Amino acid sequence: MTPLIRLAGVTKTLKGQEQPRTILAGVDLTVHSGDSVAILGRSGSGKSTLLSVIGLFDRPDEGQYLLGEQDITRIPERKAAALRSAEFGFVFQRFFLLKHLTAAQNVAMALVNGQGWLSRRKRKAKVLAALDRVGIAHLAKHKPPRLSGGEQQRVAIARALVREPRILLADEPTGALDTETGNLVVEALRATTDHGCGLVLVTHDRDHAAKMGRVLRLSDGLLNPAAERVVV
Amino acid sequence: MIRLSGRLRSSLIIGGQGIRARKLRTFLSMVSLFMGVLAVVVVQAGAEIANRALLADVELSQGKDGTRQMYLNPEGKTVETALDVLAGRTDAVAMTTVQAIIGEPGVKPVNEGGGPVDQPGGYGRNMTCDVNGCYEVPTGNEGAPSGQAVELQLVGLTGDIRSFRPFRVDSGQWLDFGGDPSLAPRLVLNTKAAEAFRRFEVPAEMRLQGSTINATPRFVGVVEDGGYAPAAYVRSDELLNWLGAGDLSSGRNGPGLQVMMSPAASEVEHALRARLVAAGTPEEQIHVNTVNTLERMSTELSLMRWIFLGMAALVLLIGVAGILNVGLATVGERIEEFALRRAVGTPRLLLAGIVLAETLLTGLLTAAAAIGVGVVALQLASGMFGSRYPSLQGIEFPWQAGVAGVVAGLVAGVLGGLVPAVRAARIPIATVMRA
Ligand SMILES: Nc1ncnc2c1ncn2[C@@H]1O[C@H](COP(=O)(O)OP(=O)(O)OP(=O)(O)O)[C@@H](O)[C@H]1O
Ligand SMILES: [Mg+2]
Repeated sequence: MTPLIRLAGVTKTLKGQEQPRTILAGVDLTVHSGDSVAILGRSGSGKSTLLSVIGLFDRPDEGQYLLGEQDITRIPERKAAALRSAEFGFVFQRFFLLKHLTAAQNVAMALVNGQGWLSRRKRKAKVLAALDRVGIAHLAKHKPPRLSGGEQQRVAIARALVREPRILLADEPTGALDTETGNLVVEALRATTDHGCGLVLVTHDRDHAAKMGRVLRLSDGLLNPAAERVVV
Repeated sequence: MIRLSGRLRSSLIIGGQGIRARKLRTFLSMVSLFMGVLAVVVVQAGAEIANRALLADVELSQGKDGTRQMYLNPEGKTVETALDVLAGRTDAVAMTTVQAIIGEPGVKPVNEGGGPVDQPGGYGRNMTCDVNGCYEVPTGNEGAPSGQAVELQLVGLTGDIRSFRPFRVDSGQWLDFGGDPSLAPRLVLNTKAAEAFRRFEVPAEMRLQGSTINATPRFVGVVEDGGYAPAAYVRSDELLNWLGAGDLSSGRNGPGLQVMMSPAASEVEHALRARLVAAGTPEEQIHVNTVNTLERMSTELSLMRWIFLGMAALVLLIGVAGILNVGLATVGERIEEFALRRAVGTPRLLLAGIVLAETLLTGLLTAAAAIGVGVVALQLASGMFGSRYPSLQGIEFPWQAGVAGVVAGLVAGVLGGLVPAVRAARIPIATVMRA
């Protein structure tokens, strides 16, 4: 079966304050449909950098990046934007909700992005379905300042899911949440893989990592299977 | 098509959300821009109105631009020949001028010499100057008692002069050049003459210089001709019932015989010239020039306009600085929003476009407000001062000022929005979203 994404020998060097620093030094990663992958690593090891390459915020310096059978290593920004809209969903540690918009409008943001057009009615149906999937359809009209952290993060997950992406990228989504709420969020994310979504979860929490199908560790710019496979 | 309208609709929603989230800020931007746009609108409107008023005056008194004018000395057979050549033509009209006194017989007119009646003595002493110096000219009224009579210039026309000088009919009607000439000359007064008659209630009998019989004129209308002294217009052929052709143009203050021709009437000009020369008019006494006052006037006016527009532009620039300042602050504040929107797939060009469109919209709204204020102010001014300054009466807001306002608003929008738009497009998603 063709994998959803396949990175081979991906490198990324960032211009540091004084000298360039190689953050990714040849990363290999393959994610299939329905896969869930946890990525561990010390702070500053380059986990967010890796996700931004996978999510097409940034491009690799070297190596190859395939989406299905399409080589997207050097894809131009215009096409990257279209792929971010159609293929990827993102969840971040900070929820990045717009506080002047309601939960529903925040979710609809991913639909109102200049990539295709849905009627207001279809948009509403999709938004409610996405909110329902994370169990907060009743909060659709609330604005973020009136939502708890866990609720806000679930709005963000609904926003990531509303276009039914094939790959979900989550960068420490539970970092700002208590354990219990974090568990709920991680479970919501993992549940997406039941529908064939591929999930890449960056986390510091080994319990959360253990709920994923695979656990990898990023260190010295390389991605390897984690030694400390913990079974709960 | 669907793609484009999807983009457009998305940008409308995103832009609308942006403006709604920052109503006060949008309003303050508008305030900072308002004075500048208003200044541009006012300068442009003022210049247009002044231009129109001047142009209307100039056309009335000197003729439309491009009109060919021939001045002839009314000597010999000149007048007779000219009248003969031009009779019945519409593309060329001859004007003769003779002094006439209308009113009580045998009295000295209230404005001896034919000057404006409200400036007594204006032309009262009829001075004339030649190589021997200046001296007084006898007026023919020596020893006559003062009485109720008005002296005016009687202008004989071979055709409708209004295609060259667009007189405005004030009341009654303009001369009818069709049909046979009437035995009692039909006269159209200018407003100055009409006012003189109203003021002095003179009986209507007309003495003509050079005629021994007094005619009883019929006044058929009043026109605004842009002149300052009383004058009346009459068909040449009706005047010829009372005067010989040689006496038609003996006015001391008049320009002699004047022929106005449309630019296209070069054949008539040739024919007239040939006939005049054949009739003994010296070739070198036939002077023709073309009216181009507008051009000369416009250069002076447009210089003024540019100076004022320059000052208005400075005010506008201050407004632009304000809108730019607000725009940059807003982009700084919206960095996360823009990065997030790009993360979910919004093309960066669309985002830049939305930022630019928001300021453009602010500029346009400001322009609309400024134009609205301009229109209302002009209406108020016209209502309050219209009676004192006729040029303000029934005036309409010049569309040029509206265009200038919209352009100023758009330019301000572009200047104030471009830098923030470029910044918005350049926000690196990876950096902003890195947790
Ligand atoms: N724009 C940048 N230019 C230069 N260096 C950068 C830039 N952004 C990040 N870095 C550096 O790259 C390294 C990797 O950063 P990254 O955010 O990927 O780490 P991380 O693994 O996600 O850490 P954390 O767990 O704390 O989120 C860090 O040392 C950081 O200082
Ligand atoms: Mg990180």
